[in-house]
Amino acid sequence: MKSDYSRLEEMRTVIRMSAESHGFANDAASQIALAVDEACTNLIRYSFPDNNNVPIQLTVITNNKEFIIEIADNGQPFNPDLVPPVDLEQYRKEYKKGGLGIHIMRSVMDDVVYKPATGKKHHNTLRLKKYLA
Amino acid sequence: MTEGKKFHIQTILLGDVEGIYLTGFLDAHTAPKLEKVIGDLIKTGKKKILVNFKNLDYISSAGMGVFMEFIESLRESGGDIKMSEMNPKVFSIFDLLGFPILFDIDKEDKTALEKFSLMNRHVETT
Repeated sequence: MKSDYSRLEEMRTVIRMSAESHGFANDAASQIALAVDEACTNLIRYSFPDNNNVPIQLTVITNNKEFIIEIADNGQPFNPDLVPPVDLEQYRKEYKKGGLGIHIMRSVMDDVVYKPATGKKHHNTLRLKKYLA
Repeated sequence: MTEGKKFHIQTILLGDVEGIYLTGFLDAHTAPKLEKVIGDLIKTGKKKILVNFKNLDYISSAGMGVFMEFIESLRESGGDIKMSEMNPKVFSIFDLLGFPILFDIDKEDKTALEKFSLMNRHVETT
């Protein structure tokens, strides 16, 4: 998808349908779509705030055990692992954007793995993993 | 959550409470529109805002951030943002972030409006 917030709705539909076709119930599929939305929103906000035409690659990778959405970009690395767990009480007192999205991703998905671009691998990748039942 | 409804905001004055009726989805693309509506209402002196979620099918943290942006200063000036008619899926996202502790979420507009009028009485007696 392009780094444009207006593309999020279509992306959510695609992810939701993909999750359902892999056996996830409606609610779980919706939650997965939400997690991917949060990841893409943070990516656009922090890496491409001024350019809505940068390609973001979303790939669904599955095996018998896992349903993984890989989000790849070639922007400045933003590592969600470096954002400390959100203390919701503190957050509500000191409102900051971005942290809520990461909290949602970590709550909804079974695993969230970020790998920044290296010399050989030109893209940053974020993998959101949900175990299949 | 099945989406498909186009995002729409309707504002209706309910006595001295401004009612905001949301339709569709609230994400990073549509949240700025809600931010503008609430910001403009506050600029015109509105302090009591009721947001009705009956026709809202989806919310992400971008949407929730809009409410976070205004709630503190509104409450400090004696106002509030209350919410009503949230469907279970949208509520579960609010719940994930512990928002029901911070926000008054009612099943019906009527309950929220009654609470707003109680706020008036409290102010009058102090």
